[in-house]
Amino acid sequence: MALADPAPAFDYKSKTALVIDDFPSMRAAFKTALAAFGLTKVDMAATAAEAISRVKRTRYDIIISDYNLGGGRDGQQVLEEMRHLGLIGLETAFLMVTAESVYERVVAAAELAPDDYLIKPFNADIMRTRLDGILAKKETFRQIHRDFMAGHMEAALAGCDGLIKGRSKYLIDAMRFKGEVLVAMGRHDEAGELYEQVIRMRAVPWARLGLARTLQLRNRLPEAERLLVTLVGQYPELVSGYDLLADVQVAMDKSHEAQVTLKRGVTMSPRSVQRQRRLGQVSYKNQDIEEAEGAFGAVVSKGKNSIYLAPDDFANLSRVYLETERGSDALRVIQDNQSWLQESTEGKLVASVMTGLYQARKGNVAEAERHMKEALRHRQMGADGKPELLLDMAEACLKSGLDEQAAQLVSEVARNAHDSEQLLDQAKRIYAAAGKGSEIDEVIRKATEQVARLSKEGALLAQKGDLVNATGTLLQAAQQAPRNPRVLMNAAWVALRLMEEDAGQSQHLAEVRALLEEAWNIAPDHPRIGGLQTKLRLVEAKLGFRSVPLRKKGPSHGRP
Amino acid sequence: MDDHDLYAALLHETKNHLVLLTLTLDSIPHTRQDAHDAPLDAARLLGHKVAERLMQAMLLYKAEAGALRLNAVNAYSPEDMVAEMAQQARSLAKHLEVVARVDADVPPIWFFDRNLLQMALMNAIHNSISYARARIEVRAALSDGMLALSVRDDSDGYPEHILELTAQGLPLQSNGTGLGIRFARLIAQAHRNEEREGELRLYNDAGAVFEMRLP
Ligand SMILES: Nc1ncnc2c1ncn2[C@@H]1O[C@H](COP(=O)(O)OP(=O)(O)O)[C@@H](O)[C@H]1O
Repeated sequence: MALADPAPAFDYKSKTALVIDDFPSMRAAFKTALAAFGLTKVDMAATAAEAISRVKRTRYDIIISDYNLGGGRDGQQVLEEMRHLGLIGLETAFLMVTAESVYERVVAAAELAPDDYLIKPFNADIMRTRLDGILAKKETFRQIHRDFMAGHMEAALAGCDGLIKGRSKYLIDAMRFKGEVLVAMGRHDEAGELYEQVIRMRAVPWARLGLARTLQLRNRLPEAERLLVTLVGQYPELVSGYDLLADVQVAMDKSHEAQVTLKRGVTMSPRSVQRQRRLGQVSYKNQDIEEAEGAFGAVVSKGKNSIYLAPDDFANLSRVYLETERGSDALRVIQDNQSWLQESTEGKLVASVMTGLYQARKGNVAEAERHMKEALRHRQMGADGKPELLLDMAEACLKSGLDEQAAQLVSEVARNAHDSEQLLDQAKRIYAAAGKGSEIDEVIRKATEQVARLSKEGALLAQKGDLVNATGTLLQAAQQAPRNPRVLMNAAWVALRLMEEDAGQSQHLAEVRALLEEAWNIAPDHPRIGGLQTKLRLVEAKLGFRSVPLRKKGPSHGRP
Repeated sequence: MDDHDLYAALLHETKNHLVLLTLTLDSIPHTRQDAHDAPLDAARLLGHKVAERLMQAMLLYKAEAGALRLNAVNAYSPEDMVAEMAQQARSLAKHLEVVARVDADVPPIWFFDRNLLQMALMNAIHNSISYARARIEVRAALSDGMLALSVRDDSDGYPEHILELTAQGLPLQSNGTGLGIRFARLIAQAHRNEEREGELRLYNDAGAVFEMRLP
C-alpha cells in the first residue's frame, strides 16, 4: 500500500503561457490564477486570429483556450490551425476549457486532441492539477516526441515500448502514440494489432478509429466501412469518423453513401471548411448540384477567416452557379472576393478563368478571349491550378478561338490523369459540346498512352523483382505525369525499395525526394504519403544522408 | 433566439460567472486569522457546492428516463484521481487531516469517465467536509476485479434512511434529500464493462464510507 502524494509541483516561474478567451474578465481571472502558481509571463488573446498571430511571434509552453470564442470560431479550430501551420509542436501544452455540453464533441474530435480539458465550472486547484498532469506527461514523452519529430522512428518506438513494458500510468498514452508512429512508418499491420490490443482492454472510440484507419491503409475497405458505420452509430458526435468513412466509401465507389456520410458529419459540425469542401466535391461528382452549391457556399462563407480557404473554393462555387445557368451569381462570387483572389497567382488564375468562362458561355467571345489571355499569362508565371480549373480554362479557350491552347491544356490534364475517367470524360464533353469531339480523342490518346504504358510495364517489372528496370520505367512515367500523385508515389516506392536493397543506386535519391515533395504538396492527405515519407527517411539514414522534412511549396495563400 | 438558445445562453453565462467567482475566491490568500480565513473557506466550499448543484442540474437534463450514457470513457490513472480529490479536500478544509491511499494491487490505469466520476467523488468529499470530525481518507483499492474509489471519514455515519435509500435503489426523480447520492449511483451504474456494471456502495465503518465501484 502506498500513500499517494499530491502531483509534483512544477516550476511555473520559467514558463510562458497564452490565454485565449473572448471574455476580458475571464482572461483576467486566468491570469490571476496562473500568477498564484508563479506563472507571470502570460499573454492574452481575445480572438482566434489574435491567438494565431501571437503564436506566430512567440513560443509558449502552455496555451489555455476557451472552446467558445465567438465570431463562429472555436478553440478546436485554433488548435488545428496552430498544429497545421506548424506553429506549435508536441512540446506545447494545450488545455481546452469547455462546457460540459460540448466536451463530448471535443473529445470526439479525437485526432487532433488537446492535451487535456478543463470543464466549466472548475476551480483553481483543478486547473493546477490539470496543468501539472499535462506537464508531467510532456516531460515523460519529451524524448519520444523529439525522436518522432526528428524522424528517428525506431527510437520513438523504443521509447513507447519502454513505457508500455514499465507498467507506467502512461501505458495507454504510449500505446496511442506508438500507433501513430507505426502508421507514420507505414507499418500498418502492427499498428492495427496494437489498436486491437487496446480495444480488447476497452473499446474506446479513438482505438476503433485508429483500427479503421489501418484497415483503410491495408485496403481492407469493407471491414473498415463496417467498423466505422458501427462506430459513428454509437458515437454520432465523432466527426472524424464520418470523414474517414466517407474516404473509405469513395474508395469503394460508393459515392452516394459517401455523400450521406459527409452530410451527417457536416450537420454535426458545420464549421469545418475541409468537410464542407469534401461534401461539395462528392455531391458534385454525384451530380447533386443543389447539395454541392450548399456545401461550396458554406466553405466560402464559413471559411472567411480560415487558413484552409483556398482560391479553388471560389472556382468550385462559381462553377456550380455556371452549371445551373446562374451566370451573374457565378460572376458575383469572383467579383465580391476579387481583392482576396488578387493576393496570389493561384487566386488570379481562378479569377481570370472563371470570369472568362462566364463570358464565353454568354457568347462574349472578345471578352472571354481577353480573360483567357490573362489566365494564360498567369499560367506562364507559374500559377498552379487544379485539373478541374484547367478544364474550365480549356473550355473557355476553345470558345474564344484559342484552340491550340485548349488542346495543350487538355493534354496536360490528361497526361496527369490517365487513371481518372471522370476528368477524361469531362474533357471529352467539353469538346463534344463545341462540335470538336473527334479532335480531342487523339489529343487524349497521345497524352495518356505513354504514361499508361510506362506505369503498367513498371508495375510488372517490380512484380517480377526487377527493381532496377522498374525504377527506370516508373521514373520515366513520373516525368510524363509530374502532377499525378499516384504515379509519383509508385515511382518513389519502387525506387526506395531498390535503394534499400542496393546502396549503389543512391543516385536516385534526390529525384525521389523531389517526387515525394511534389506528391505531398498535391495530395497532403493521401493515405500512402506518410508511409513513403518515413521510408525516405529510413533510406536516407541508411545511405548516410542527413534527412530533413519535406518542404511545403510556395507561399500558401494565407492571411496576415 | 428560441427558448432553447436562451436557456443555453443563460447556462453558459452562469457557468462563466461561477468560474469567475470561484477563481476570485481561490485567489484570496489565507491570513491565518480565523476571522478572515473561516468565512473565506466557507465561501469557497459554498462556491463548490453551487457548482456541484449546477452540474447535477445539467446531468439531470441529459439523463432522460434515468439512464446515462458515457461518451468520454478513457484510460486514467486511479492514483492521479485519488491525489486530485485529496488535494481538493485539503484545499477546502484546512482543519481536517486528509489522507490519500492507493493499494499496491491497483493497476496504473483504469477506464472511466473522469469528469463524471469526479463529480460523484466531489459530492462525497463535500459531505465529508461537513460531517467529519477530524479526518478524511480518499482511497483506491481493487475489489472483486473492480476499481473501488472511496471517500471515508470519521463522522457519525450515514443516517439509516439514506442507507435504505441506496439499498432500495430509488429512482432519481423521487423527492427528498439524497440527490447527490442518487447521482453518484447513476454515474456508477453507467460505467459498464462487458457484462459488469458499476455500483455505488454506502456503509458505515467507524464513520461514513462512500465507495464507487467500477468494472
Ligand atoms: N459523510 C457523511 N456523514 C454523515 N452523513 C452523511 C455524509 N454524507 C451524506 N450524509 C447524509 O446523507 C444525506 C444525503 O447526501 P447527499 O445526497 O449527498 O445530499 P443532498 O441531498 O444534499 O444532495 C445528507 O443530507 C446527510 O444527511
